[in-house]
Amino acid sequence: MSFKLLTTTAALALSAALVAPAAAQETYKVGMAAGLTGYAATVDRAWRDGVEVAIGVLNAKGGIAGKKIELIVEDNKSEPQEAVTVYRKMISSDKVNVFVSGCVSAGNFAAAPLIVRAETPMVLCSILPQQPDHVKWAFTTIPPPRFEVETRLEYIQKKTQIKKIGVLHDPSPYANAQKAAAEKEAKDYGLEIVGVEQYKTDDADLSVQIQKMYAAGARAILKIGLGGTTLTAAKNIKQLGLDMIMLTSLEDIAVFRPVAEVLGDKFFFVASPAQVYDALPDSALKKEIGTFLEPWRAKYKDRDPNWAGRGWDAMTLVAAAVAKAKSTDGTKLRDALETMDGFQGTTGIYHFAPNNHQGITENPLLLATIINGKVQVVK
Amino acid sequence: MMNSLTSIWAEARSNPLLLVLWLAVAALAAYVFVNGGYLMAVLQFACIYVVFVAGLNLFMGFTGQVSFGHNAFAAISGYTSAVLTATYGWDPVPAAVLGIGGALACALIVGYPVLRLRGHYLAMATLAIGLIAYEVAVQWDSVTQGYMGISGIAPLGVGRWTITSDRGILIFLIVVALLSLLMVRGIRRSRLGRSFVAVAGSEDAARALGIDVARTKLLAFLISAGYAAVAGSLFVHAVGFVSPEVFGLHMVVLAFTMLYVGGIGTIVGPVFGAVIVALLPETFRGFKEYQDLAYGAALVLILIYTPRGLVSLPDLWRRRKAAQKTDVQQTSARQGGAA
Amino acid sequence: MTAAVEPSRILSVEGLSARYGHVEALHPVDLHVEAGELVAVLGPNGAGKSTLMRALMGLVPTQGSVAFHGHAVPRRNPAKAAAMGLVLVPEGRGIFAPMTVAENLELGAYLLNDKQEFARRHDRVMTLFPRLKERLAQTAGSLSGGEQQMLAVGRALMSDPKLLLLDEPSLGLAPRVIEEILQTLGELNRAGLPIILVEQKAPLVLTLARRAYIMSVGSIAAEIDPRQVKSHDELAHFYLG
Ligand SMILES: Nc1ncnc2c1ncn2[C@@H]1O[C@H](COP(=O)(O)OP(=O)(O)OP(=O)(O)O)[C@@H](O)[C@H]1O
Ligand SMILES: [Mg+2]
Repeated sequence: MSFKLLTTTAALALSAALVAPAAAQETYKVGMAAGLTGYAATVDRAWRDGVEVAIGVLNAKGGIAGKKIELIVEDNKSEPQEAVTVYRKMISSDKVNVFVSGCVSAGNFAAAPLIVRAETPMVLCSILPQQPDHVKWAFTTIPPPRFEVETRLEYIQKKTQIKKIGVLHDPSPYANAQKAAAEKEAKDYGLEIVGVEQYKTDDADLSVQIQKMYAAGARAILKIGLGGTTLTAAKNIKQLGLDMIMLTSLEDIAVFRPVAEVLGDKFFFVASPAQVYDALPDSALKKEIGTFLEPWRAKYKDRDPNWAGRGWDAMTLVAAAVAKAKSTDGTKLRDALETMDGFQGTTGIYHFAPNNHQGITENPLLLATIINGKVQVVK
Repeated sequence: MMNSLTSIWAEARSNPLLLVLWLAVAALAAYVFVNGGYLMAVLQFACIYVVFVAGLNLFMGFTGQVSFGHNAFAAISGYTSAVLTATYGWDPVPAAVLGIGGALACALIVGYPVLRLRGHYLAMATLAIGLIAYEVAVQWDSVTQGYMGISGIAPLGVGRWTITSDRGILIFLIVVALLSLLMVRGIRRSRLGRSFVAVAGSEDAARALGIDVARTKLLAFLISAGYAAVAGSLFVHAVGFVSPEVFGLHMVVLAFTMLYVGGIGTIVGPVFGAVIVALLPETFRGFKEYQDLAYGAALVLILIYTPRGLVSLPDLWRRRKAAQKTDVQQTSARQGGAA
Repeated sequence: MTAAVEPSRILSVEGLSARYGHVEALHPVDLHVEAGELVAVLGPNGAGKSTLMRALMGLVPTQGSVAFHGHAVPRRNPAKAAAMGLVLVPEGRGIFAPMTVAENLELGAYLLNDKQEFARRHDRVMTLFPRLKERLAQTAGSLSGGEQQMLAVGRALMSDPKLLLLDEPSLGLAPRVIEEILQTLGELNRAGLPIILVEQKAPLVLTLARRAYIMSVGSIAAEIDPRQVKSHDELAHFYLG
């Protein structure tokens, strides 16, 4: 019995999958390849939830070009090969109108030739592909990596006496780009980098790297990279009794609370405006963030809004560009996206142009600290 | 060639259920070829994995060794192909040839000491080789561009004649996969192949017959590394992009699954393993978050009901038939006795 | 024992010992085999009989010397020993279950490159064991115990041994099958093939062998002429001490 049962179910499952009809295009289809599992899961789930919240709001107002928006999310498992498969699935089976894809840059790069051929633009959470012909169809909501560095360098220059700093980073492309920016720009802020140390995201101890930089004279550490290593570094600094401050890159604020308990006022972090909404002065930015945070908080309470806010931005950008193009056509949407100059998002103002597919051109980032459990902006 | 085709046909006729499996795969390939769609990509990957797994099968199935590190050889040739074509503008063929040569040279260097180990130790050592290759791909970013990866890799082809259409790539990969299977079959039926299986059976017995066990293992390792390297180059030229994750541990996990699902130590097992394991997640894509769960459950079912792989289905079938027959005979004998 | 070189002596072993790790399982032994002889090695479980066979082939680390037809058999190089004509049918037969009978036989002639010679040896094995002929395409694992033992001997014959070492061919077989196999071995020996036959069950070989070594706890305790052994009690005496 078992054998027959097995073959029948397998055959059924197979045929069901193969003959699933491509539904007629009565919705506006948004495709998303995201790392719902694998290393990118935290960021990409937040990104997806932000996009979903935006779609909820947009659909309540009638959708895009009079059509309801339908989101198709496929898990790329944070792997390029899987990304190629799901992109192709969304291009050929779902026939999506646009992609708003997550932060697995390798996956988006691997799929870039496909979206060029399909003439379907993508708005990304990740950095842009390398090839000029690929970039033509790709837009990103990510601020240039150097902004995260400049915010911190500026603080050190203006608010402290420190002249020598160290850089502690993981091997991800984004962290590497920040490291390169720090190396290039430190002297513009009157600072000297006396040590650059790399770690792996699963390292359980960083005291060797930290001590080395301290011995070289560093009194501030730019920590670049996500995850539990921030807490590890903080503990190491405290255990070693070193007189130095640590300034980390953007991250879910929930990760920072235990870090602040360890290092107190010697700990600073780069924050996006949405993360410190309550501390912001009134502005167009604050207004836009408020529009996003209302449905966001209704659904997710005080979950960190940083990456979700970028997802929101990507979706509202697409909606605005389609409205401007007065067409859902991929090429026209692409051209319209290139004219989205001065678009107010939750991360900052986007200035897209034909020669600039990285919209955030003015540094919107802030430096913050946590005093007595309360997030405070210091710059 | 003709000869082996007729003997394949003879085999298939003596084994109807296997013929059904083959027909199912052929029908699927034809369906995908005609209808296009993203299953084309799934089948392309499956073909590449057929090559990788066929080689691994030679080392693990035939020779009875174990390797968790063959992704290293795919990575070496894949990255060589990528760097030489994307960065230095080489043609894919010389780039791939150099990559495969490089992978073989590395296999020779690491194989010599590592193959003295057995069982779990061999598993650990090979795992380390795979991890080292991954680390190098991440860290050596002046050449590999680290996690950024390399794009703009030349498509499959020779000189000005390139294969860029999906259907063309699929056909090419199917041909390569079939050729690599025929080669495995040739090897298995040669003296060398018999010495592989002898080493798996008992090293002492093999030695007593005059087989140089160390050399035999090294040859199996080299040939399988060669297969892995071919798969690595095929992958980067077919996709046009490479980054360390492409040849990460997940490649090993996937290959092992295919090997065991298809039938380790059999000649055609890798085909069915690769196709089923590549296709299963797609059949469950509609399950959304439960896709992985359904996929896992299906794998467990397959492994429980065909513990020696899908190609053992015909044997199970025959045995069941035989069991039924003896049942009938026994009952009738008993009845006869009673009468 | 006389050390004088006799022309009929094909194998002479002096001070051969073997160890597994730090344990010496075979204490230094001397033994010899004459041309055309069938020599039995008898002894209880764990006496070291199999270790002696493995030591002769060089499958375990050994000390001492083994000379075959006047040439030293290299230690720890079983492939070379096989090439010299020493062929072992190991305890438990050592056949390769997943391969067909034909493939097993082909492996027996692994070192042979001559097609005609191969055919000649193959024919001989087929005549000797007609039951194997019907089962050439069957996997070796699917053979009966007796057929497997025939295959093991047949495979050894494929390498055209100059001295056949047989480790407990009777293991796990029915008396009738043992009878059949021993008969074939007797035939082979009468045709001129020297054999060392290891057995636990002494009576089995007493009619075949002209000489027998009795092993006990890792050494050769005695050398006897089986035809002189009158009763089982007498043999038991050797076993015990
Ligand atoms: N691979 C091994 N490692 C360690 N010790 C071993 C090994 N093989 C055999 N021995 C030991 O060496 C001794 C001799 O074993 P051997 O197999 O030679 O005995 P035997 O006379 O062939 O016995 P049997 O009649 O049961 O086959 C025994 O004490 C056994 O435990
Ligand atoms: Mg024994």
